[in-house]
Formats: sequence, C-alpha cells, structure tokens
Amino acid sequence: MLLEIKSLDSGYGFLQVLWDVSFFVDEGEFVALIGPNGAGKSTTLKTIAGLVEPQGGEILYEGNPIGGLEGHLVCRKGIAFISEELNLFVNMTVKENLEMGAFTLKDPAKQAKNLEFVYELFPRLHEREAQFAGTLSGGERKMMAIGRGIMSSPRLMLVDEPSLGLAPMLTNEVFKALRTLNKRGTTIFLVEQNVGKTLKTTSRAYILEKGKIILQGKSADLADDDHVRKIYLGH
Amino acid sequence: MVNPSTESAIDKIDQTIEDTFAQKAIRWLFSAGGMTICLTILVAIVATIHKGPYILVNTVITGGMWALMAIGLALLFSVMNIAGFAHGEYFMAGSLTAYFVFLPISNYTLEHPESFMAYVGPMIAILAGTLMCAFLGILTERLVFKQLRMRNREGWLLNCFLITLGISIIFQNTHQLGFGADFKGILAYWDFPSVPIFGVYMSIDRICAFFIAILTMIGFYIFMMFSTTGKTIRAVSQDEDGARMVGISVDTVHVVTFALSCGLAGLAGASLLFMFPSYPTVGVMPLYNSWFIIILVGFGNVAGAIPGGFMIALFQVITRSYMGEGWEAVIPVLLISLILIFKPSGIFATKVRTVWDE
Amino acid sequence: MANEYDVQKQGIAKYLDYLCLTPLGAIGFLILMIVPLFPPFNQDYLIRWFILAAIMGTGAMAFDFSSGYIAVVNFGFAAFVGLGAYTSAIVANKWGIPLPVTMLCGAFTAGLLGFITGAISLRMRGMFAICLTWFIGIGMMGLAIKLVWLTRGMLGLRTAYFFGTEAPNLYYWYPVIGVALVTWFILKRIARSHIGLAFKAIGQNMDAAKTSGINPTRYRIMNFTVSCALAGWVGAFYAHFIGILTPEFLHTAKTVEFLVIVYIGGRGSLWGGFAVAFPLIWFTEMLRSNFDYLPGINLLIYGLMLILIMIFYAGGMAQFFRYLVDKWKDNPTVRWLTT
Repeated sequence: MLLEIKSLDSGYGFLQVLWDVSFFVDEGEFVALIGPNGAGKSTTLKTIAGLVEPQGGEILYEGNPIGGLEGHLVCRKGIAFISEELNLFVNMTVKENLEMGAFTLKDPAKQAKNLEFVYELFPRLHEREAQFAGTLSGGERKMMAIGRGIMSSPRLMLVDEPSLGLAPMLTNEVFKALRTLNKRGTTIFLVEQNVGKTLKTTSRAYILEKGKIILQGKSADLADDDHVRKIYLGH
Repeated sequence: MVNPSTESAIDKIDQTIEDTFAQKAIRWLFSAGGMTICLTILVAIVATIHKGPYILVNTVITGGMWALMAIGLALLFSVMNIAGFAHGEYFMAGSLTAYFVFLPISNYTLEHPESFMAYVGPMIAILAGTLMCAFLGILTERLVFKQLRMRNREGWLLNCFLITLGISIIFQNTHQLGFGADFKGILAYWDFPSVPIFGVYMSIDRICAFFIAILTMIGFYIFMMFSTTGKTIRAVSQDEDGARMVGISVDTVHVVTFALSCGLAGLAGASLLFMFPSYPTVGVMPLYNSWFIIILVGFGNVAGAIPGGFMIALFQVITRSYMGEGWEAVIPVLLISLILIFKPSGIFATKVRTVWDE
Repeated sequence: MANEYDVQKQGIAKYLDYLCLTPLGAIGFLILMIVPLFPPFNQDYLIRWFILAAIMGTGAMAFDFSSGYIAVVNFGFAAFVGLGAYTSAIVANKWGIPLPVTMLCGAFTAGLLGFITGAISLRMRGMFAICLTWFIGIGMMGLAIKLVWLTRGMLGLRTAYFFGTEAPNLYYWYPVIGVALVTWFILKRIARSHIGLAFKAIGQNMDAAKTSGINPTRYRIMNFTVSCALAGWVGAFYAHFIGILTPEFLHTAKTVEFLVIVYIGGRGSLWGGFAVAFPLIWFTEMLRSNFDYLPGINLLIYGLMLILIMIFYAGGMAQFFRYLVDKWKDNPTVRWLTT
C-alpha cells in the first residue's frame, strides 16, 4: 500500500472534522473520495499534505508514518497536492510557476522532460507560457495547478475538486489528463463532488459524510448502489 | 474547445499584449505613479536650478539608502505580513557596529595613511555592520516571531506591530545603557580630498554611499529574480501554502527574509555613519522615512520602494531648504492624509500583495 | 448585568451598577481615595506619583476604548492628550476663562482632530489609522516646537494651576479621581449601549456587521472621536496640574508609555490599564530617583514585558484577573464583588 490512513482524526482547533477515518491507496491506483459539501474531504487531503495537523490516528506513506510532517517535507517525499484554492503564484508567469513546481527536482534534464510532458498534456499552457498566472481563465488555472504538481515527478498526487467551477467540456479535459497521468504510473487520490464523472474515471471510491467513511468499494459497484444513486446521482 | 466567456477574456488579454509600447507608456504616464514620478523629476530640476546642485546631490545620496531601508521594510510586509516598527533600530545597530569596527581601523590608518587599510578598512566596517544586523534579524525571527507564530496567529498584524515596538524599546535602551547616549561619529571613512562633480565638491564617502546603494539595488534585483532563494522568497510572498506545496521550506524563507531585511537596514546605517553618528535614537528618522515611503508606494511593494526612496529624500531636502529646519516633521502629515484620502493603496497601486511589481 | 446566580441586584450593588462599577471596583476607588491620607503615603512627592499614575491610567482607559473595542491603535495618542493640554493652557492664559471650561475646550479640539483623523483613515483597515495617527503625533510635536508664538516652543508654556502655585498635591488627588470616574462612567455607558454592541459586532465580523445594517466606518469614527476627546480632557487636567508644558510631552515615546500600560493591563478591559498604571508609574519614578545611573532601565523592562505578554499572555493582567475570578466563581462573596 502506497498510502494508508488509519483511524485519522483531524480538524481545526476545537472543531473536529474527521472522525476515525481509514482508507488506503495502492501504487498505481486511481481512487476517489466522494462526499457532500462540508463532509471533510478537503480536510482529509490537507491533513495528508501536511497543511493541517492531525489530531489522532496514523498516516503511512510507503509504510512510514508522515502524520504531522510539515507541508514542504511531505512534498519532498513525492506527494503532490493540488488544492481547491489552487494556490498559484499569481505574479509569476506560467513557465515560472511550472519551474517552481520542480523545486524539489535537482536534475535539470528531468525538469525539462517534465515540462515537455506538461505542455503536451495541456497545450494551452504552452501558448500562455509568458503570461502571468493571475490573468489565466478558470480552466487554465486548474491546468496550471495540475501541471505544477506534475513537475515534481510525484509518486502520489492528491487532487482536490478539479471539476469545481468548470464547464463540462473543460471538466472532461481535466479528467482525461488525470487518466493519462495515472496510466503513466502516477497514483492519484481524487476528492470530488461530481460523482457521476468520478465513478466512471476511477477504479475505487470511498464515500465520506460528516467526517466519517460510510461506504467504500469498486467505483462500478458504487454507481449501482442505492444510497449513492439516490443522494449523489439523483435517481 | 473553449467556452465563449473565456474566449473574450483571452481576446482582451491578447489586446493588452499587442498594445504598442507607445500606448503602454502613455497609459503609465497618466497613472498616479507615473504622474508622481514626473512631478518629482520636475521639482528636482526646478529646485536645482533655483537653489543649486546640492539639492540633487543630497537627494541622490540619501535617497538610495532610504530606498534600501524601505525595501527591507516592504519585504517584511509582503513576505511575513509584519509591520516592522523596529526597522530603524537595525539602522542604529549597523551604524554602532561599523563605528566600533572602524575605530581600530582608523587608528591604524592614521599611522599608515597610504596603506591598503585606508582603502579597504571602511568596507570592512560597513560589511561588519551589515552582517551584524543580518544576524540580529535572524535572532529576532527565531526568538520572537517564530514563538508568536507557534502560539498565537490571531490579530497577527497588530500583535507584530506591538512586538516590534517592544523590540525597538529594548534596542534603544540597551544602546543607551551599554554604550551611552553620546554621539559616536566619525569624520570620514575615506580620508581623501573631495572630488568635484558637476561643480559640486563631494566627499569620497558620499560617492561611495551612492555606489553602494546602486550596486546593492542591482544585486538585490538579480538575487530576487534569478537566484533560487530569491524565487522562494517571491513565491512565499505570493502564496505561502502554494510554496509549501511545491516543497519550499517557508520557515527557512522567513529566516532568510528577516536576515535580508535587517541586513539592508544595517547596510544603510553603516554606510551613512559619516553623516549620521550613532546614538540610541538615531534610527527614529530612518524608521519614519521608511514608513513614509511604503505608505507612499503601497505596503508590500518592494520595487516601488526604490523610486519612493528618492522621492522622500527630495521631499525632505526641499522642505528643509525652502521652509527651514523642523518643518519636515509637519508637512508629511498633509501628504500622507492626501494619499490616504485619494490613493490608500499607494501611488504604484498593487491589488495583490507581491514582492516585485512592474 | 443579569447572570445565572442573581436575578436582580439589590441595594448598593444596584446603584453601583448604574455607575458601571462592580462592588470590587467601588472598593478599589474608595481605597485609592483614602490611602494618600495615611503615612507613609501622605508625602507630597508620593502623592505626585499617585496623581501621575491616575492621569496615565485615565489616559490608558481612553486609549483602550479604541484599541480594545475596535482594534485601532492611536499611535499618536500623546499628541491628542497634548493638544488638549496646550489648548486648555493657551485659552486659559489668553482669555482667563475658568479652568473647567478650558478643559472642555481641550476635549473639543482633541475630539475634533480625532474626528478628522478618523474620517480620513478609518474607512480602511486599522493599519492605516495607526500610520496616520503616528504621523499626526510627530507632526503635532513639530508644530508645538515651531509655533513658538503660540506655544513658546521648547522653552515651555507656563500654565495656570487649579489651586494656585503653592497648593499641596493632595488638593489635586480628589479632582483627578473625579476625572477618572467620569471617564470610566462615560466609556462604560457607551460600551453598554447599542453603540457598544455595534463595536463588538464590528470587532467580531466586519461583513456580518455590515449586512446587519451597521456602518462600520461610522461607528469606528464615533469610537475614535470619543477616545480622543477624553484624551484631550485628561491632558487639560495634566496641564493645570503640572504647571509647565513642553512639546516633549507629545513625543511618540509618551504614546508608547500609554500603550505599554494598556497592554500590560489587558486590552479591551478598560480598567486593566488604570489598575496597572499605579505600580508601573511608581516603578518608573522609583527607578528614576534611585537608579539614575541606569537611564531607561524601566523602559527596557517595559519593552521586555510587552514582548512577553504579546507572545505568552495576550490578555494581560485583566486576563489573569478573569482567570482568578472564574476559578473562584462558586464563592458567593467573589460573585457579589465582581458582578
């Protein structure tokens, strides 16, 4: 298991958001965490990524505990986090943002290769190479954030609600790119509200409601599940 | 496939990129920043014609140093959101260190006037002042601000302001208790004859201060734009979480920024020792000037601090020569009030907190 | 204030509540009033310390009204106090108007300057008000130095004493307690009114306050003006107590003295600053007379205390007091004393 979460409690000070959450992601998998607004999905990713301190339980990466590790150290272990807020460097160009993404890579040849791959995946970014990240459109910013995450050659990518605020066409593009990444060998753990698309793209999923995991299984099976169909798919 | 709304946004962006240089220049000229810069240059020229070249000389010498200090202050704001009220004390610490380092050097130079030391000695003293302040900055960050960050993040801006006030008090009174309240000054760093430039006789000290300022600004620019550390500092100032997410140690950046900021203040203090002798409250005026500058150009605007420094220096020189001693404490209030009424985000208005703003 | 233990205040407590004093506070004031009558406190120079402490403490109350309630630090506070002082002194000297009236003149000018300052800077975040007030403080000191025809500059302005030149300090003690009580009453009354409620709302969540129909700028200006007017009033009293005014009194360092007292005492409490003003001023004066070979050592200690409080115990002495009260809240005497 590449990533294993055991009985995780997390939250912000007195506000506990996650209660005894457990799940795992194997190498090469494409797994989703689905749930309604406020369930704690972002908190889960932020806790793994080291931006929020866990209050209990364990986070194991490659078998080693990383719970409570600071954000930049988590990144250096090979975990890339694409946040919902995107956290772009707005006054740097697209290219500079991508270069910053490769901050932990010491090898310039690898950097160049990653850059080439990102441009292949998102040709729009190549066009807007010299543009300031703050002036990009919504969809381009998402691509920018994902591209920046790719640049560090991560083994595991945590993606928070990539489809949020995107038109359906762009959502398809983004999901297609994630699929390509996964096929290339990057393990992806995805958090989403767009359940239909997510269950079609991923192999396994967990359902998180009110800070607790209530369902889990193969995505195809979940798509047929009564609860999922009623609450999330609307039929 | 692009949806229609993004399409028009892209068109607009393409338009601005394709604007001719002339169009861009004219638009800048009529912005608040452009107009103020032109006004400043105009006033400088008129005053120089009217009262003589010493106005320009004094402006250029001190302006560069105030710009360096304001850069330091702006860095603290933009990277760490700290309102540095102790900034002037690092100026004082720099001048104090330079004084004590230069004392033995100048004694040696008196006996050996043509030696290597006569040329290099002052640089050693100035460097010592800079490094000491960088060190003090690191101490301050580790002992004080890191502790605050760990314990209490609420009301950060106000708390930091109050803490820097406490630091300022401590520095000033430590100087007074430990080194006395008297003026510790030097006659000159480089004791060579003055050089005439455009009819004005300028001491070597002044010329060197000018070049130190210019070289430091250039070095700073190169450092911030092209070095890895510089890029990490810019990244943290633009998005702290984003920086963490790409593997940057924000903690390290904080330390480096503080060292840089205080080092710049110390450099200014050490370089200007010939003009401002060291005493406990010598940092009050540089602090005042630095704040004046960053209010003028906008909090956190590091690039803007450079022209801002020269503007404030000109303002002070003009006020002193046309209205007499003492009024330069009063007139800035009116200017600040005007800025706060009409353009509170500064004449080079920035919408986003950034380090480098073109 | 109703709480789960008492339904209604009885007797004395009810009247004290009207004055916005808890029984403990009233006892405190009574003790203050009596102490200077007894040895070893009845020496003239010690009473002088008492009076200075009361003046600084009252000023601290006015300062805390804006820094504690709307989080706006008046960094030129000493200039507003000084403006009131100079106004009162000049008006009294030039036109011989009775001193209580000139004190109101001082309050008026300081309040007016506060209103203008607030109108300019309180539309934006608090940092701007801090900067503007700081610059105004320095500017006012500069004016006091330069306008020699009005203020006699650095030579100092002689002011009329309340009780003539030979009166013992004790005569001033009861008026200054009166000034303190009146200031406390005004500030607490406002804090308890719907205006005070608006201040709390603004402090908690500016946007929520706006959607509730509160115009934050208007209330912030109101608060700031009151704070400055009271500062001017206290300053006017100081002028006619001390006998001579110099521009040094408007220096930022003086503002820092007020600030340190407020934050060590406990921001937002109003009374915290008044209470710690006494030990702090006595400490300063004692150091000044006994350890004058260590100039500024008191300031050094205050600087350290300020930093330590900000990092470790942001609520100051008042927070500690609240903690004690909470620890003993089951004791009925404690409850009666402190509500």
